[in-house]
Amino acid sequence: MLETRSRAASLRGLWRRSVGSARLAVLSQFEYRFNLIADTVIQPVLTAVVEVALWWALFWSIGTAAGLAAGEATLGGFGRDYYLSYALWAAFFSRIYASWMYEFRMTEEIDTGAVNSILVRPLGFYEYYLAQFMAYKVMTAAITLSVWLVFTQFFDSQTIFSRLPLALALAFFHLFLVHTISFCIASCAFFYNRVHSFTVAKNISLWMLSGELFPLDLMPEPLRSILINLPFACGVYVPVGYVTGRFGAERVWSGFLSIAIGLVVFGLLASVLWNAGRRRYTGQGA
Amino acid sequence: MGLVRRHLHLAHSLLRASFMADLEYRANLAVKIVTDIIWYAAMLSVFEVLFRHTSTISGWTIDTTRVFMGILFLVDALWMILFSENLDRFSEKIRRGDLDMYLTKPVNAQFMLSLQKWMVAYVGNLLIVLGWLAWSLSRLPDGVPWERLPLLLVVVPCALLITYSIRFVFATSALIFTRADALNYIWYQIYRLGTRPDAIYPPAVRIVLLTILPVGFVASVPARVVVQGEGIWLVGVMIAFASAAVWLSTRFWKYALRFYTSASS
Repeated sequence: MLETRSRAASLRGLWRRSVGSARLAVLSQFEYRFNLIADTVIQPVLTAVVEVALWWALFWSIGTAAGLAAGEATLGGFGRDYYLSYALWAAFFSRIYASWMYEFRMTEEIDTGAVNSILVRPLGFYEYYLAQFMAYKVMTAAITLSVWLVFTQFFDSQTIFSRLPLALALAFFHLFLVHTISFCIASCAFFYNRVHSFTVAKNISLWMLSGELFPLDLMPEPLRSILINLPFACGVYVPVGYVTGRFGAERVWSGFLSIAIGLVVFGLLASVLWNAGRRRYTGQGA
Repeated sequence: MGLVRRHLHLAHSLLRASFMADLEYRANLAVKIVTDIIWYAAMLSVFEVLFRHTSTISGWTIDTTRVFMGILFLVDALWMILFSENLDRFSEKIRRGDLDMYLTKPVNAQFMLSLQKWMVAYVGNLLIVLGWLAWSLSRLPDGVPWERLPLLLVVVPCALLITYSIRFVFATSALIFTRADALNYIWYQIYRLGTRPDAIYPPAVRIVLLTILPVGFVASVPARVVVQGEGIWLVGVMIAFASAAVWLSTRFWKYALRFYTSASS
């Protein structure tokens, strides 16, 4: 009885501390408002413009070659409007999964020894940054989504709005995996002095594997099947494909499973790296 | 003349120091090179996949697009060697007050900030890129345009200077906004506009990319000059744009410095 009560108290404490970290993340974002607008509006809008332009030109070319209007041409069984919607939503979902700032911070804290101050706190390093990362993503995604809802009306895009909550749930579940990978990379800072390039390599790889560049099913087999079934596809390809009607909910559910497996794999790796790194680490200073 | 010689001597010293510093963090260095190769693969995969479904995109075929990508990678490799590390850390230098050190030195601060750290290891990427460009040129249906190849010696440095100038303005804006991390991402998105042939964009966007934000000069115009032989006048335009861009970036740097308040003690 006592044990159950103390466990509940401990969970409540963890929740309170996580909420505190999350609040800190939100407040620090509002400190630099221009940075926030650039991050949540300007950058995703520019991404969308680049991608929409490419697909527009592509369909114009396909249509011209086949003697059809651009709107009548198809690619991989889908028409121009479908791909424009894909490009539009891919720009939105890619903003959610991208992880630069917090990964750099985690790496720098370990690299510079500032991690000491977090190690002595009653909240773990992973949880401390997870709370901040999630709060930041919820806030920025909410702002960007409000712009995107206007955008999709303007472009008259092929969007099934009733599917948006499940797609967002998948994208945010995928963030646990993204954060765990970030934690693995940050833990490498215990062993190497500079690991910033690991972050860049990881993000460019995810850029390819997530389906941000193009729908993964345009890839030739067997690459297509492999990439679609990897958990990284849940960053962009699966939620966007679901929202735009490329496939049904069954792929989203298999996406949840795929992420869960990914979490176990990267969770184990993170645990090994973190524990080995801490054994190796010698904290200095107050 | 003495000033130029002094700066060349300084650049040589910085190159040597950078080479030694690079060797200190070998794992980081190796990952950086591999990262750039992954980026090349990602960029190529877009067009390689799309051209499986169509023979042309806005007049560009798979062969001409490969040359376009080769020129883009060439400018990128030079960019990575010379400027990338310096300008990527610009915002950090301002926040930490390191800028004071550059401003008080008896050399041009813009020169020092832009060229202090060379990424010598990317020479390996440069060789890979040159190999790709040579291969893509040899695959052109009309053969290698030998008579236009020397123009690369003019248009590529011009493209590099234009890229540098725009990026420098973005980096310098950190003096005004203090925290301009997102501006770096915006720069990257604008740069992405230049990583596609300009012909694919609607006329209005195309005009912007060839005037206000001249990333169309990074690879599209050089590729048009070399592959399509669109006229020597484009080379003149590139030289004029590169000169104007460098001049404007210097003016902006001097203007932005007025907002700088030292962060160090």
